[in-house]
Amino acid sequence: MKIKKNGEIRTAYFYISPLLTIILLFILIPIVGTFINSLYRDITYLPSRFTGFTNYADLIKLSDFWNSLKFTTLFTAVSVSLETVLGISFALLLKEVFTGRSFLRTILLIPWAIPTAISARLWQLMYNYNYGLLNYFLDITHTGAKVNWLGTAHGAFWAITIADVWKTTPFMTLILLAGLQTIPDELYEQAMVDNATMWKRFLYITLPLLRPALVVALIFRTADALRIFDLVYVLTGGGPAGSTRTVSILGFHYFINGDFGTGSAVSIIIFLLVFIFSFLYIRAWRFKETL
Amino acid sequence: MKEVYVKKILIVVGTIFFTLFVLAPVIWMLFVSLTKDLGFLQGGGVNLTLSNYVNIISNKNLHMLDYLKNSIIISTTVSFLVIFIAGFGAYAITRFNFPGKFTIPLMMLAISIFPQISIAGYLFKIESNLRLINTYPALIFPYTAWTAPLALWILISYFSQIPRELDEAALVDGASRKNILLKIIFPLSTPGLISAFLIVFIACINELLFALLLTTDYRAQTISVGITLFQGLHGEIPWGELMASASLVTVPLIILTLFLQKYIISGLTRGGVKG
Repeated sequence: MKIKKNGEIRTAYFYISPLLTIILLFILIPIVGTFINSLYRDITYLPSRFTGFTNYADLIKLSDFWNSLKFTTLFTAVSVSLETVLGISFALLLKEVFTGRSFLRTILLIPWAIPTAISARLWQLMYNYNYGLLNYFLDITHTGAKVNWLGTAHGAFWAITIADVWKTTPFMTLILLAGLQTIPDELYEQAMVDNATMWKRFLYITLPLLRPALVVALIFRTADALRIFDLVYVLTGGGPAGSTRTVSILGFHYFINGDFGTGSAVSIIIFLLVFIFSFLYIRAWRFKETL
Repeated sequence: MKEVYVKKILIVVGTIFFTLFVLAPVIWMLFVSLTKDLGFLQGGGVNLTLSNYVNIISNKNLHMLDYLKNSIIISTTVSFLVIFIAGFGAYAITRFNFPGKFTIPLMMLAISIFPQISIAGYLFKIESNLRLINTYPALIFPYTAWTAPLALWILISYFSQIPRELDEAALVDGASRKNILLKIIFPLSTPGLISAFLIVFIACINELLFALLLTTDYRAQTISVGITLFQGLHGEIPWGELMASASLVTVPLIILTLFLQKYIISGLTRGGVKG
């Protein structure tokens, strides 16, 4: 029996070893490597030198760094809140039985399926001063003057947020819809017998029972939004005047300018920030039960 | 009774908003891709044409078809690799008892939300030293590692639904573990394999940060990079051609998604949240 068990353990490790190897080589070692790099002055064409936490100390003194952190957290808070509200509304809508439901369910995945770089270009066109649908609409309906969406810090913030909400709401909706489907119908029937209003049923049945799915979706989306790169990079490039530079974009700029030490320090900071959420994510749901 | 009407109104308003919200940008993309000049915006007539599509395909300097080819080769290779690697991993996790049985998949779950930037710079350095930059493997390796956790969780959730008695019976009949996985478990979880394949495939098409940093020209750059760097000769963006390129990628992806949505939804809800 003992021998069989040892053999089993060996087979198990053998089967899982390709997975562990590739994760070790291309994710874990690079993260450690990034941390080590962050302790060096490592700039192209200059001799590399160990400087301890100097890169971090320098970053903390830099207003660019604080601005990017501020933008990233503000963007995360606003876009995750908006997509949660929309996600709940869409999920509730899709749970109802009505003509057109299967049509909505079908088109829901479209924004999710479009690559982010492409959806960023799509929205860039939507916001374009001369050719954008938004300004075209403002123009033909005479509801207001054309807006320079991507030209001001304020406009760019909302432009990015709306485009992100568009892209990520389908995912939120799907997760919450899956959550809604676990709520037993009897609860609602009982509440109807008790003459509870629609709003009360939502508040006292739907929301509490949806909470586990909601918490997981929120944590996941928060972590995902904090690391945002591609949408912003394509839509505004971090502009105007660096006002929409996310932490990932800041790090990326250091890398392409050849300053690997500082870029690595920025990367480690965003890594730690996201890591808190990935830790919460694992704790939040009974993932262990599936195993 | 009034509540019934409120509900009806909410459903109608919701449906209209939902449809506009989801479809407006996509329809605008298709529309712009099919117009010659955007004259209709200044009150001119609409000039429907396919010339933007002809241009992006015939103009070899744009390399649109190269980007598309690179994306398809890289994403397909990664998807097959990941299914294989994650398949063996998921089998070990659902069928054997070993130290790490719980820790490993949970660690993978955490890894799947790490920010790409935290490894991109280091990857650039090692790939430069190995002279891998601007090759397919430059992206295939990191993408495989990056998407394997997602596929692992999707496959775990499918494999754990297949009764272990099936394995036991096959073992008694003298089948090897490898054959059980390849000839019994894999065929029985075909929907799971399709689902993992699609999620990984779309994630690879989507990825931008690694691709921008680890590839340098049309010989390895993916379509996401191509669309990102698309620019006219004089700085002005040629919207018609850009949207034609975008449509060229988007339309097949949308069709694929609509036909296989069942698998995608199950992949997203199982792998991401439901566990």
